Amino acid sequence: MQAILALFPARDYTLLSLIVLLPLLGAAVNGVFGKRLGKEAVSLLALSVIFISFVLSVLTFFALGHAQQGETAARFYWKGWEWFHLTQQNGNSTTLNVAFSVDALSGTMALIVTGVGFLIHLYSVSYMAEDPGFHRFLTYLNLFIFSMLVLILGDSLPVLFVGWEGVGLCSYLLIGFWFETESNAAAGKKAFVTNRIGDFGLLVAMGLLLYYTGALDWSGIEGGAKNLLTPVQVWPLGTHVPAASLLPAGAEHWVNMPRYVSAATLVGLALFLGCAGKSAQLPLYVWLPDAMAGPTPVSALIHAATMVTAGVYLLCRLSFVMVLSPAAMAVVAFTGALTALFAASIAFAQHDIKKVLAYSTVSQLGYMFLGVGVGAFTAGFFHVITHAFFKACMFLGAGSVIHAMHARIHDTDASQDMRNMGGLRKYMPITFWTFAASWAAIVGFPLSSGFFSKDEILFKAYSSFVNSPVPGNTLTDGGISMELFTWPTWLGSALYAMGLLTAVMTAFYMTRLFIGIFFGEFKGWKIVKGFKEAQGHDEADHGHGHAHHDPGVRLEGPTPHESPWQMVLPLAILGALAAFSGFFNANAGPIHITPLDSWLEPVFAKASGAVSLVAESESKEPLFLGLAFAAFAVGSGVAYWVYAIQKGKPAQSLVNAAPGFHSLVFDKWRVDEFYDEYVIGAVDSLAEFFTWADKWIVDFILTRVSSFLIAASGTALRFMQTGRVQTYAAVMVLGLGGVGYFFVTPRVEAETKSNDASGAYSLSAAQGLGYSYRWDLNNDGKWDTEKFSSQTRASLKLAVKENRTVRLEVKNAFGRTATRSFDFARPQPDLSGALSRGSPDQVPLRRMPNLRQLVKQGAAK
Amino acid sequence: MTVGNVFFAVASVVALLGAFMTIASQSPVRSAVGLLITIVGIAALFLMLNAQFLAAIQLIVYAGAVVVLFVFVIMLLGPDAGDGEGTVARARVARYGAGAFFALLAAAAAHLVTRAPDAVFTPFGAVDPEHGSVEAIGRLLFGSDVVPFELATALLIVAVVGAIAVARGKPHVRRQSKSASPTARMFHGPLMARDAQRPLPTKAEKAAKAAGGA
Amino acid sequence: MSSLGYVIEQYIMLSGALFTLGCIGFLVRRNVLVQLMSIELMLNSVNLTLVAYNRMHTGDLNGQVFAFFIIAVAAAEVAVGLAIVLAFYRLKSSVQSDEADQLRH
Repeated sequence: MQAILALFPARDYTLLSLIVLLPLLGAAVNGVFGKRLGKEAVSLLALSVIFISFVLSVLTFFALGHAQQGETAARFYWKGWEWFHLTQQNGNSTTLNVAFSVDALSGTMALIVTGVGFLIHLYSVSYMAEDPGFHRFLTYLNLFIFSMLVLILGDSLPVLFVGWEGVGLCSYLLIGFWFETESNAAAGKKAFVTNRIGDFGLLVAMGLLLYYTGALDWSGIEGGAKNLLTPVQVWPLGTHVPAASLLPAGAEHWVNMPRYVSAATLVGLALFLGCAGKSAQLPLYVWLPDAMAGPTPVSALIHAATMVTAGVYLLCRLSFVMVLSPAAMAVVAFTGALTALFAASIAFAQHDIKKVLAYSTVSQLGYMFLGVGVGAFTAGFFHVITHAFFKACMFLGAGSVIHAMHARIHDTDASQDMRNMGGLRKYMPITFWTFAASWAAIVGFPLSSGFFSKDEILFKAYSSFVNSPVPGNTLTDGGISMELFTWPTWLGSALYAMGLLTAVMTAFYMTRLFIGIFFGEFKGWKIVKGFKEAQGHDEADHGHGHAHHDPGVRLEGPTPHESPWQMVLPLAILGALAAFSGFFNANAGPIHITPLDSWLEPVFAKASGAVSLVAESESKEPLFLGLAFAAFAVGSGVAYWVYAIQKGKPAQSLVNAAPGFHSLVFDKWRVDEFYDEYVIGAVDSLAEFFTWADKWIVDFILTRVSSFLIAASGTALRFMQTGRVQTYAAVMVLGLGGVGYFFVTPRVEAETKSNDASGAYSLSAAQGLGYSYRWDLNNDGKWDTEKFSSQTRASLKLAVKENRTVRLEVKNAFGRTATRSFDFARPQPDLSGALSRGSPDQVPLRRMPNLRQLVKQGAAK
Repeated sequence: MTVGNVFFAVASVVALLGAFMTIASQSPVRSAVGLLITIVGIAALFLMLNAQFLAAIQLIVYAGAVVVLFVFVIMLLGPDAGDGEGTVARARVARYGAGAFFALLAAAAAHLVTRAPDAVFTPFGAVDPEHGSVEAIGRLLFGSDVVPFELATALLIVAVVGAIAVARGKPHVRRQSKSASPTARMFHGPLMARDAQRPLPTKAEKAAKAAGGA
Repeated sequence: MSSLGYVIEQYIMLSGALFTLGCIGFLVRRNVLVQLMSIELMLNSVNLTLVAYNRMHTGDLNGQVFAFFIIAVAAAEVAVGLAIVLAFYRLKSSVQSDEADQLRH
């Protein structure tokens, strides 16, 4: 470690550039030359760049551990180049660098991204081996790892934003990877557009942070975070609400009353909007279930393990900003809990195993936000880690199952349908055991990873709350003073209740999924007649046809089989991690092994100072432990009874009893339909209005009418274009007449110079062909000399407040004359400086230089 | 009344009469003769102004070449060189209106100039006997002004070539080229004279030939 | 009247008169040949002006040299102009300028 630190000092940790850029190199080479390199070379390159990145991340992690002593957070920093330079209105300037840094938080995250990323790359090499877009797939995956590393390791919000958009792009490309199918492309678009809404929030947060803290890099934001405790008027937008005067007097006062929030709350809410988009929280979660249209490794890597946790990462990264606003934190926690509950309820009724996993991901992400929202950043981040392991393992296991199902079914939807599975335990034992490990983790089986992380979050949801960031809980700025939001006492209990209910539901639907896949009879044999045949199925290529099915009879043909080692090895590793990674931060009852907590403590030091525990909650911890265990036991026990013992009959009778309710849940509470109707419908009607405007205003009035006018004037002018030279010559003669008139007409122009202080004014007349001049300087109406002379300059002196009109006559070579008058006035000397300031009738004249000397245009005679 | 006064008066009257004849006579031959008279008158005025060389050049170039060229063309065209009695005169208003307007402008200008209160005559001063001699002008033309002089020769050559090219065109004879593009004509024309009689194969024929060969 | 012919203004007036005649000829006549002759008249009047003013500056012959070049250019112009007249005649069998309206189309 000493050697690494000697090679790469903390202020210039060049290794970061290598970690970040290696996946980009892989993406670039595979993207450009992938088709010619062949599958072996492409996979070798794609795997090796990620593996080297992973090794370097491990080195960095240990170097960080070596550097981090005690309370201070170690941070390795590498600056690439200066990106841009901003000068604000108040003169402060901000320099933004393309810089990367790594500390305990981002180092851990980088380990997950490269580690899990490598395993999923390995899995993909086998899973996607037959796909014609193999090299494209690995290119996108490498590009994703690059973008994700930029997101994590970026030292400032804009650099993070580049990665943020990069992962969004890769997500879009990979969801729509099989873009020949219309619905896949649509799912990609949906993810992209929904994320745009969130990105708007992130951009607003960036602007606000730049405005209030004057910086966008982490240390700069941290330094200026105190400025966020400023009241900001959010209502009314101007001085008053338009048309409010129509209301009765009391209501008008109420409507017009200025309302304030703290800048920290604005920033926190805007940040959370960005995170809700990326991490699929209410109300922007709708894209994630559709994102399962992508290949399964993508779902595992991007839509379960890494990208969707970027929102949690960002809130952890900016924890010191978030804790400044208890209101925003409460919103985060409540939205997280609500999302967890809501998504879990949808997962109850789904049959598609990837859909179930998708809603479970949304639900687990809600848990993470619940943890972060109550100020338990370590707990939230710990759940990110464990979830990355067990959910990636589940998705890969699901992929393995789908892979096996393809032996009998070639339809994408049918091969993912739980109702066609069952009993796969004996055909694919390794997949079964790894899936079992991650099942144990997600349902909270005691001592599994999910048990510890979820228990920690639930306990903190009850016990932890965010303190007021200012003493007295009142912000004052100038004459404005505002009361800050305080964390209500019932909120902790409510959040806990929602979390616990979600835990029960999670245990239930996950057990249902687990039993549905691996236990009972394999229903794939009994594919009934009329079941949808595989599309484009070619018997000669696959050799396991099932063209003639008899209903209910076991059909001959290939059996499901275990996947090759490239797919099983990642499963095994992730399964082991899912089972045992809880001990990174095991804090339950008598067990107290918390290396992660102490590792991240310096990073969250500032934030955790603002968070308190409810009194006497420590003593209640065993109770919570018991409740968490009860949640697992009840949820999975009921599911076992319903689906394993009763073979799903109670569930079926429930469906029969309330078919409307079941179809509502099965249709995901019809949220998509609601958005279609009201959000997209509103946008559509706006678009229709603009189409109308485009058609009738732009295309008709602006285009047709103006083109008609031009055509009409062209028709008129066409009569003048005779093509005959003499007509044109005639027009030239007309022009010649104009030029001649200009030539023989004298013009009087004079430049005036004035000096009000001394009263000296002068005129300098312009010269022309054969011009001679005569002046009337003394304002007596007679010319000073009757004869014209060559005198072009004249000067005069005025007393204070005296006015004078000077006349000048010019005669040209043809004897034609023209006259013009020039008015001069010397103003009262400016004494405003000597007089007392602020006397209203004393208008300082020096502000009006253009009024002081009036030049009246005399008509040229 | 010196000889010089009389000479100027006669020469200017001759020039004006010639100019009037040029623009007023119906027959182009008479116009040419009028132009010749004007040129001779102006050459005489050049002599008054001590421009002996230019007077000679004026007679040689204008009377000897330009007017002769005009007469040649008039002879070449025969009766068609006239005013075309059979044709309908168009743009009559524009033509006569513009002519009248220009005459008005000229009259106004003359009025302005002559009416100017301090109008005085500026007599010529004494003149260097060498002024305008062939030797003095030659010194200039082959000395400091040699570049424009040589450029003028180039201009004349270009004008001669251009005049020949324009005058010998055969607009009634259409080119019998199959190729549409000029480039194609330039590079894909017949190499041998006898090939010009055979039409070039069309695209369809070429394609048919290629298909048959394969 | 003894100054007749020895005062520059007279030459300028004469030149102006010639130019006016030439210009009116160009504007009014529709015979292209006569129009070309009118152009020659105008060029000649300008030459007269140049030579007359040059008479004021004895010892400096630039005006005359300029007139010389104008004569050269006029000769070239007439050659090309008459060639165009011939080509135009072939096209239209006429030398009336109002027949030349091909450019309109």
